[in-house]
Amino acid sequence: MTAAAGTAPAIGGDAGGEVELEALEKRFEDVVAVDSIDLDIAAGEFFSLLGPSGCGKTTTLRLIAGFERPTSGDVRLDGASLAAVPPDRRNVNTVFQNYALFPHLNVLDNVAFGMRYQKVGRKERDRRAREALELVELGDYAKRRPHQLSGGQQQRVALARALVLRPAVLLLDEPLGALDAKIRRALRIELKALQEEVGTTFIFVTHDQEEALSMSDRIAVMHDGGVDQVGTPREIYEGPATLFVADFLGVANVMEVEVIGRDGRGCRLRVGTRELWSECGDLGTTGAASAVVRPERLRVTPGAEAGENCLPGMIDRTIFVGSNLQVMVRLANGNLLQASVPNDGVDLDSHEQGSPVSVHVPPDALRVLAPGGVTPAG
Amino acid sequence: MSVTAAPEATSTAPAPPSPPAPRPPVRPSRVPDWFGNPWGRPRWLKLTTWLYIAWSLLPVLAAVVFSFNDGRSRSVWQGFSTRWWWGDPNLSVFHDPIYTNALVHSLELAALDMLIATPLGFLLAIGLSRWRGRGSGSANFLMLVPLTTPELAMAVSLLLVFTQVSVLPFTAIALGTTAQVIGQVTFSVSYVVVIVRSRLASLGPEYEEAARDLGANARQSLQHVLLPLLLPALFASTLIVFALSIDDFVVTQYMSAGGETVTIPMLLYANARGAATTPALNAVATIMVLVTLIGVGGAYVVLRWFGHRSGEAQGDSAGQMGMDLTGME
Repeated sequence: MTAAAGTAPAIGGDAGGEVELEALEKRFEDVVAVDSIDLDIAAGEFFSLLGPSGCGKTTTLRLIAGFERPTSGDVRLDGASLAAVPPDRRNVNTVFQNYALFPHLNVLDNVAFGMRYQKVGRKERDRRAREALELVELGDYAKRRPHQLSGGQQQRVALARALVLRPAVLLLDEPLGALDAKIRRALRIELKALQEEVGTTFIFVTHDQEEALSMSDRIAVMHDGGVDQVGTPREIYEGPATLFVADFLGVANVMEVEVIGRDGRGCRLRVGTRELWSECGDLGTTGAASAVVRPERLRVTPGAEAGENCLPGMIDRTIFVGSNLQVMVRLANGNLLQASVPNDGVDLDSHEQGSPVSVHVPPDALRVLAPGGVTPAG
Repeated sequence: MSVTAAPEATSTAPAPPSPPAPRPPVRPSRVPDWFGNPWGRPRWLKLTTWLYIAWSLLPVLAAVVFSFNDGRSRSVWQGFSTRWWWGDPNLSVFHDPIYTNALVHSLELAALDMLIATPLGFLLAIGLSRWRGRGSGSANFLMLVPLTTPELAMAVSLLLVFTQVSVLPFTAIALGTTAQVIGQVTFSVSYVVVIVRSRLASLGPEYEEAARDLGANARQSLQHVLLPLLLPALFASTLIVFALSIDDFVVTQYMSAGGETVTIPMLLYANARGAATTPALNAVATIMVLVTLIGVGGAYVVLRWFGHRSGEAQGDSAGQMGMDLTGME
């Protein structure tokens, strides 16, 4: 399930919440954690910062929250610079990775905590805190202590505690990371529904590509402190701009190719002794390049006969993973290609080890990437 | 040549040509079962532990017992009485002004030490935990130096500074209660810093960041979040400072000035070998043991309760503080 392609939807966001990062940079001693990134996050958008650990995504979030000061560059919220605004005066709230619920306060007081600094009366504070707890279906737990709740419940208290302040932007630092897989999947849907309901801008940090793909309106894939690509989940998955993005999101077959010709429609690549057509990617590149293709787009047919845009090979190994069959095909030049064959009850036995096959690579699924080139997708 | 020789050697090694000789399933043991058996009961551990406990506690127990002696002797039992505690109108602990003065002065010093060293150490700990960059490393290290400096060296240096240096802050300090309090605070602060910082380290920066994130300014997050979370550590520190002060002899002795500033440890030291000393001295020693035990035991119990209330894993807060407490005594 992917969100529809296009720009960010403008859902309900009455409080604004447009975030701009401008040449934002953060160094710790001589380590560059965030390397001059530019991002425009629209109001009401569910925006994910996706990347492996150490890519700078959490530092970026902390710069927006105000826990770190940028070395250079600026963070703007609804057009106003936050450079001189301390974290307590930013209209931005955070859901921490380990929730950071105050252990000396009960659930209700945790949720009501922020409102005392907004000069909300005690009665009104309690009423709104209870309302927020109802919203996350924890109305009966008001008097409990945080440690008496399960991880998923704590996560919802943290969410209520931040959202009750009606922030323009909610920052979420791997909020599902500490939960087990099943709860995580359920909360994913809940979180997305909640975001659509309240219309607040969510900036969501995760290293889990599935999480980012299933919830986000747009994703920024981060790598080594920089942003490799920004786009909708579909754009990023189907049109990775760099090898890193292709590799980080799902499984990608990467082939070393040589561009040997082109016309208006696409270009011709040499792979070993064979030739393939490609119709997407950096079609203007020449010479050595890489080409990537997703396993689910490959078609494996038995027999050594290789037709148009096909590569001959031999089945090296098949791995049964339930919903599909992963077929590893050894090509003539020694490379391995992984193809995903849906387990629809047909022909699984024909994929035996050692049998000759032909792998069809659709031209619209084979993406050419210029060496080292970072070009925007689409 | 050696490059080709190496793989040959390794390729022949893992392939022994003859079938391996059958090995007995169990290697016979030469030592008796009660010594070599890893599943056996820990007899030696139990024995040595109890021996040590007896060795360390029996003398204390003997001293306590002789405080109830009916005669003047501190070594020959002459029957049970409470005369050295309160029975004797002139010579008992609670009547003899030498003892009562020392008791009152000890408690006075302990109270002042607690009131000054705990807040000071608390603030210092918070400051040090936030200080990043040049100098913070050495400061953190130097904070621990008073814990390891021989107390005698510190006492002598303080004495020299207070009596010989004629620059303003030092000239204002006269030997006596003031110097005693300053001396005790000087080494107590380090303990407070260590305890509070270990608690701060286990809390991490997240709670404070969460408070700031939710709108509390620096002072409010300190007051509404950090302070309540550090309460157990503060409580433990206070009791540690109390125990340190009550127990202290060296610094207190060097900073003293005359009979007015004698504390219980000083009294014990001066009179332990005296021929005229009565079992009232044993009673005073017993009081010290009790007071220290109650302080440390109380700290442990309250910390456990705190830990239980905030749902922390056992062995984190209470256990760790308990270790600190017992480790320092």
